[in-house]
Amino acid sequence: MQLVNITINGKAFEHEVEPRLLLVHYIREKAQLTGTHVGCDTGNCGACTVVYNGKLIKSCLMLAVQADGSEILTIEGMSQQDPEKQKNGLHPIQDAFLEKFGFQCGYCTPGMVLNTHTLLKSNPNPSEHEIREALEGNLCMCTGYQQIIESIQYAAEKMKAGK
Amino acid sequence: MTTLLDYDKLFVTRDYVGKPLRRNEDEKFVKGEAVYVDDIDMDCAHVAILRSIFPHARLKKIDTSKAEKLKGVLAVITGPEVVAQTKSVPPRAIAKPLKQYVMAGDKIRYLGEPIAAVVAEDRYIAEDALELIEVEYEPLQGVTRIEEALKPGAPLLFEENGSNDLLHDTMTHGDIDKAFKDADLVLKEKFSVHRYSSTPLENWAMIARHDKGNGSFTMWANDQQPGRSVANISAVMGVPMNKLRLIVPESGGGFGIKLAIWPYMVILCLLAKKVDKPIKWVQTRREHLLGGTHAPDCTVDMEMALKKDGTVLGISVIDKENDGSFIHTAGIYSLIKFATLVGCYQIRASRMELVSVAANKGPTVQNRGVGKPTAIFTLERMMDIAAKKLGLDPVEIRRKNFVQPEQMPYTTPSGEVYESGNYPATLDKALKMADYEGLRKMQAEARKQGRHIGIGMSTGVEPGTSNLGYYYTSSGIPEYMGSGEGAMVAVDYDGNISAMIGSVDTGQGHATTIAQVISDMLGTTPAHISVDNTLDSFVSPSIGHSGSYSNKFNDVDLGAVIRATEKVRDKMLLIAAHILKAPLSEMRFVPGGTAIAVKGDDKRQMSFKDIAGYAYKRITMLPDDMEPGLKEIAFYRNKAAKMPNKDNFNVQLTHSNSAHIVVAEVDAESGFVKILKYVIVHDCGNQINPGIVDGMAIGSTVHGLGATFLEEFVYDDNGQLLATTFMDYLKPVAAGLPHIELGHMHSPCPTTMLGTKSAGEGGAIGSLAAVAGAVEDALTPFGVKITSLPLTPEKIMNAILRTKVI
Repeated sequence: MQLVNITINGKAFEHEVEPRLLLVHYIREKAQLTGTHVGCDTGNCGACTVVYNGKLIKSCLMLAVQADGSEILTIEGMSQQDPEKQKNGLHPIQDAFLEKFGFQCGYCTPGMVLNTHTLLKSNPNPSEHEIREALEGNLCMCTGYQQIIESIQYAAEKMKAGK
Repeated sequence: MTTLLDYDKLFVTRDYVGKPLRRNEDEKFVKGEAVYVDDIDMDCAHVAILRSIFPHARLKKIDTSKAEKLKGVLAVITGPEVVAQTKSVPPRAIAKPLKQYVMAGDKIRYLGEPIAAVVAEDRYIAEDALELIEVEYEPLQGVTRIEEALKPGAPLLFEENGSNDLLHDTMTHGDIDKAFKDADLVLKEKFSVHRYSSTPLENWAMIARHDKGNGSFTMWANDQQPGRSVANISAVMGVPMNKLRLIVPESGGGFGIKLAIWPYMVILCLLAKKVDKPIKWVQTRREHLLGGTHAPDCTVDMEMALKKDGTVLGISVIDKENDGSFIHTAGIYSLIKFATLVGCYQIRASRMELVSVAANKGPTVQNRGVGKPTAIFTLERMMDIAAKKLGLDPVEIRRKNFVQPEQMPYTTPSGEVYESGNYPATLDKALKMADYEGLRKMQAEARKQGRHIGIGMSTGVEPGTSNLGYYYTSSGIPEYMGSGEGAMVAVDYDGNISAMIGSVDTGQGHATTIAQVISDMLGTTPAHISVDNTLDSFVSPSIGHSGSYSNKFNDVDLGAVIRATEKVRDKMLLIAAHILKAPLSEMRFVPGGTAIAVKGDDKRQMSFKDIAGYAYKRITMLPDDMEPGLKEIAFYRNKAAKMPNKDNFNVQLTHSNSAHIVVAEVDAESGFVKILKYVIVHDCGNQINPGIVDGMAIGSTVHGLGATFLEEFVYDDNGQLLATTFMDYLKPVAAGLPHIELGHMHSPCPTTMLGTKSAGEGGAIGSLAAVAGAVEDALTPFGVKITSLPLTPEKIMNAILRTKVI
């Protein structure tokens, strides 16, 4: 067993874990944040996407012990991002996914929202092509992506307007 | 009672039905707060399943003693134990008395078939324990291909059957011999379509708990067809249904692939009996791809009889479905094809020989479209091939054969009834949106420059609402017939409304759609309505058909919601009339008011809360003959379902239609295909929530694109599956997909309450043929013909350079 300290959504967590515990299982079972999902086990689907020290990662491809000392943002932390832009308990990106039907079963949505959040930070005005490229690591089996792309475009507009 | 499609009588307001209302009830999904099965926190022990490493074998010996001694292991169960405690899996379509169990006890029939399971304190330990189970196999020669499986002397999946032929029948409708005698041209082609699946992003997941006190079981599972699952579990385990409680929370996608997860629930219940706590099993993606069910690969030998002018007189089809290893669902793909056997066309004679083939491949269960994608693929390919042969434009041959709008409702030779639709206008609209003539000019220009651009199209029927009776057309009286659903609608003490249906949601936004309908029926707003998507088999108003499949939701599920709301509405009017001392005929719902008033006198009104107060609390003031409460259950069925009869049967009860136009460019150096344009015009009758419908049309089309270009369960000749992760079973990603242009037609369906038709599977049906047509058209200079899928770069290059056939 090994002691790990991980800050998730601004809150410090400390647990003794087995070295083989995956980060996604740490987030879901130890931190009890179940918005991060498991879809493929091999890093292809992006359902387990989180923001790790500011970068998007697949949390099924990292061990919890490797994440010791890191800061992680999960979907549950979106409620604290851009506080001046939150409305009715929703971040503008979350609002956009509702407005433009950017989800069906919702299983990929946390990863999609975190991907969008990271994309718009570095590129507040992405083209459709850039959005499609950015989504390459996140699979959605329901929507065919089109309404997700529309959601991201809408979110980008709203985020700019909110400045 | 409201008559079908009488919107004026049905609705107090028209503020919500037909509008793209936001899925506000589903905020939880964008916030990570939705609770799927794996998110349920109840201190579970965890299950891991040992799967056969051979595709065809006998299980000689299985020794679990070392696994049982591992620290943290709570219990182990093996195939022979499961077989001893359960009955055989019930088949839905085949009539032969074959035996198969939810876990292999002796004969192993596919790679990955469960042979033992371990429950341990955590999943890591459970997986460790699997490594300690010692298994002695007797490997057998396997068989995977349809032709080889049907040869005399082939290895047999079910020895007692004497062959790998599980269901074999021929059905002829219309004068097929005359059609071929009168033909100027008879075309023959052999088509084949590979094995693929729609792979929901959430794998199968389930929890089981055994209550020793009364011998009951509670299960939580992402089951898509609870109405049938509990009955199957009950039959296989010999436990009465009133001791089997199934709860279905949120589900991360279905597409048919979660319709038959119940065999694993049996395994979990048996294991749960051995331990004192709830146990959970979450399928890995590898397990899902191995045996989490596929659509069968198939071969279709088609003959088409035509006149010189392009008129199709008849088709004769030999359809062989590689149904793999699962007797529960074997045979249904061929039978469901009857729903769209003759497509949009006036083909007055058909013959279909159908064969369900057993082979050492994974189980097959209904995947999005169920056989109709391959039915439309083969028919539409044949139309293109015929057009080429006769020197006709592909548009022309389709126009020549369309069922005309004035012929609606139109009955096909086998008895399928197309309720409504305008097939010529659907195609015309798509051609206009795509600028077909401009495209042909652009294509000619591009060809001069050495670019290989092609235009493809398909016009297809997209059926919904399965009439389950057809499964047994070959074997007597069916256990399940027709299609129906139940709903419960209540006005609570405080005047707010709650609703639930007997079915489940796998991502279709049922809660929002139901709230739209109830809002307009009662003159209230969705903010006052809470729809619970959770299914509880002890509480929900389910019937045997209950589930999320065959596009039945906007037909029978909403039908049940409407009937239950009518019951509540009628009772509210009676109470208001009684308390306000006004004639019933003078009572009116106040549009947008959440209240009932006396006609012409708005001051004399009662809010829903007031009315509910009398119904639930001041019950002595109710009319003498009235029961207290404002909670009503209704069940609804689509009465268009015919009785099973081989000469005249309808497989499905609604029939949407579409036209797909695709422009594709092939790089003749690499074989890669780029879609330059994708236009769909579809007609699913009236739409309740167009925002949701658009998502289904586009999403289902992308399923078809994945199947056409990327996805394939590749097996070697002995039955080893070579695609067991998303690194080798490739799914479409956002990059590289076209922007899909969507156009709508609205031909209301006269046989559903709201004029709706199927909306969820269409693109998965029409896209395969349209894309293949475009690729073939692009490869015209090379003389390549497409009769199979998928269209991989390797196959395209091979055809260009050598074979001329894909």
